[in-house]
Amino acid sequence: MTDALLQVEGLNVSFTTYGRTRQVLRDVSFSVAAGERVALIGETGSGKSVTAKAIIGTLPNAATITGGAIRLEGREVLHMPPGEREALKGTAFSLIMQDPLSSFNPVFLIGTHLDDVMRFADRRRGVRASRAERRDRIAAVLRRVQLADPERVMNSYPSELSGGMRQRVLIGLALLHQPKLLIADEPGTALDVTTQDEIMNLINQLVREEGMALLMITHNLGVVRKVADRVVVMHHGDIVETGDCHRILGAPAQDYTRALIDAVPPLYGPRVTTQALTEGAPIVEAGALTKTFGRRRSEFTAVREVSLTLRKGEIFGLAGESGSGKTTVARMMMGLLSPTTGQVTFHETPAKGRPLAQIVYQNPGTSLNPKRTVAQSLSVPLKALGKKGAVRQVRMQELMALVRLPVSYLGKYPHELSGGQKQRVAIARALAAEPKILILDEPTAALDVSVQKTVIDLLLQLREELGLTYFMISHDLSLMRNFCSRIAVMLRGEIVEEGATPDVFAAPEHPYTRALIAAIPVISDDEERMKPAVTDEERARTLVATTV
Amino acid sequence: MQQHPMVAILRRLGAFILVLVALSVMIFILARVVPGDPARMALGPAASQAQVAQLRAEMGMNDPLLSQYLHYAWNAVHGDFGMSLVSQRPVTQDLAETVPATVELVLASVIFMFAVAIPLGVLTAQYRDRWVDVLGRLISLTGVTIPSFLVAISLQLLAARFWPSWPILGRLDHGLNFHGGPTGFMLIDGVLAWRWDVVASAAQHLILPAFALSIAGIGQITRITRAAMLENQRKDHVLTLKSFGVPERVIVFRYLLKLSSIAPVTIMGLEFASLIGNAFVIEMIFSWGGFASYGLEAILHKDLNAVSAVVLVSGLFFIVANLIVDVVITLLDPRQRQKGGR
Repeated sequence: MTDALLQVEGLNVSFTTYGRTRQVLRDVSFSVAAGERVALIGETGSGKSVTAKAIIGTLPNAATITGGAIRLEGREVLHMPPGEREALKGTAFSLIMQDPLSSFNPVFLIGTHLDDVMRFADRRRGVRASRAERRDRIAAVLRRVQLADPERVMNSYPSELSGGMRQRVLIGLALLHQPKLLIADEPGTALDVTTQDEIMNLINQLVREEGMALLMITHNLGVVRKVADRVVVMHHGDIVETGDCHRILGAPAQDYTRALIDAVPPLYGPRVTTQALTEGAPIVEAGALTKTFGRRRSEFTAVREVSLTLRKGEIFGLAGESGSGKTTVARMMMGLLSPTTGQVTFHETPAKGRPLAQIVYQNPGTSLNPKRTVAQSLSVPLKALGKKGAVRQVRMQELMALVRLPVSYLGKYPHELSGGQKQRVAIARALAAEPKILILDEPTAALDVSVQKTVIDLLLQLREELGLTYFMISHDLSLMRNFCSRIAVMLRGEIVEEGATPDVFAAPEHPYTRALIAAIPVISDDEERMKPAVTDEERARTLVATTV
Repeated sequence: MQQHPMVAILRRLGAFILVLVALSVMIFILARVVPGDPARMALGPAASQAQVAQLRAEMGMNDPLLSQYLHYAWNAVHGDFGMSLVSQRPVTQDLAETVPATVELVLASVIFMFAVAIPLGVLTAQYRDRWVDVLGRLISLTGVTIPSFLVAISLQLLAARFWPSWPILGRLDHGLNFHGGPTGFMLIDGVLAWRWDVVASAAQHLILPAFALSIAGIGQITRITRAAMLENQRKDHVLTLKSFGVPERVIVFRYLLKLSSIAPVTIMGLEFASLIGNAFVIEMIFSWGGFASYGLEAILHKDLNAVSAVVLVSGLFFIVANLIVDVVITLLDPRQRQKGGR
């Protein structure tokens, strides 16, 4: 293929850390034709981001390219003089970063970032432009990414914009010099589904209108279906399979790809979990909870008049996007936070010294102390219960067996464990004090899809074995559909819809629920067709605008 | 919601007055509970009991404590700290002559600190684990650990041995026949009087004590700057700019430096306390004749009026310095301005 815009051939990259060398890319070869949309998919550690960094030229110092070639419009970039290679940045290809809040320097205006990027790219290309000319060009690009008021955006600090707006600016940054190839590194991953959906639509539209090629790096198969013509599947530094998007998603040739696809919770059709749910007596009841933060002028009502009942043995899901107040509700329900008005009634009293509820946090990477072994982490709640010596040891071993981890892992530190294993430890820690209720705060959001499935399976088994009640907080509606028996949807501090999960998904009443469901990236055309309809007017009324 | 910077500054000023009141009460009480009779100290051992009693009455020391304090506070507000027992002149007048000397010294040290420490911090971070870094860290560690009086005396000895013509005492050559100007800062007064010989001499005199005084701060600020630079280098926004080909030097000296200067500026506010404390020692060693040496003299002679004025002024220094630090940080960091709102 000589007409390929980007051609990666037999790329080998290895990392050297602490004197140990590890190969992270093995003979990676693929190509992107002009105007083509290619997705590079894989889970954590698959090498997809390293591939992108090798193309852009931002590999960390620990990495060495040990072989292969990267050709851009037929020119080999790996052996280019540094100045020439630098000149490609932003002009021949451009990167869309994901925005985990930190893609912009917090003490500089958005406009300063944009202007510097443009100024130095201009200088490399020998273009001379005044500050005012640059400002006009930047404003035009910002309008291109549907930011209605470019002046205001440029005069804002990063912290003054919403995540969706920052993501738009990042896309604008990539468009400043009409590149031929866009490389997108998980854009929108850190954003709410509805915002992510808008961002994907925008990227699609821009690629189509400007005739750019797109290399999308993602772990989300739903996103792939939406924005890619062709898919490259990576696993542990190898390319597993390459092919047309519909072919890969519909009839994958490799077992690994099939496993990936099967791990995605379906939005329609039979639920993954068919566990019988016993709905017992109310265990916690919340009556008209309202929570107000701040005082006087800065007063902010996070939760308004929320009433909920958690029944024994059920899996209750509280859905909502960031800032909807779902975590605040969960905290009040568990007595961690006292409501401004309203009350929480507990219908069951735990044994003395034992908590009724325990919480499992979203990111086990940060909820476990990195300097403590698994045993030390587990011993904290056990010590609080007064368990000593051999009794504590036995209980720790029981807990490890419960979460299906070998007892030998007790001596390990968190960094020696994988994400899924860490989350298992976090679950074991939550179970140590034998709570009746487990609060799951986005328990799988930080995990790969395949790992997510194993954690969910574990949680379901534990519920059956221990008779637990789950209260799950999440923004992932497709996960909730497969996991929860009842869900409530929160919007701006209020519950807008509540009901048995199958009912809510079969006929969502509130426009916000419909918008949420419609925004979920799905992997088959059938599912896409079954999504509820949302009018633009409803969307505008319920979603936070990311364009102004 | 952006809070107007003025509101924040006015709030600070309010707190600042409260701190001053609290400070004055503490000084007042402290001065009255320490043993020793100021009247006896002033008159000397030869004075008769009656003379001492008479002076005590004149000084108002027989009145109730509260009325003594109110009297003291009222006068202090009007700039009257009473007479100094040692110099037999109004304390205010003594202060007016000595404070500018100290301020000049301290300001020079602060400028030194930033001029040396920030570039050193950036360099050590840029060349992490290379010889520049090792050397820079050695210098900063030395600065933090060596007491400033040792540095001061060593500098004096070295200068006297290797460069005998370099001044090591006082603020100005006596032969210059210059008696200060309106500001009390030798450098500025020299410029105002168009006397370049005075400016040169004052600068020569200033360099060694200012350097000795700043050495501890240099060590501290270098370390903080280095840590902040290293921390921020790993952030995504650096990668954003790199991916678009913004040159390394712009990323380091513009983007990273501003973000990383917030921490050292904050530390500077705290560092000020030890700066004033060290100034007492440095001024003695270099015969600086500033307000710190005046204060030391006053403490040794239990000159109560002078001591309380000196402590009050030191507190004022510290508070004003922190006020300035707060304002600078508010200007540096837009996130600070958003606090309070949501």
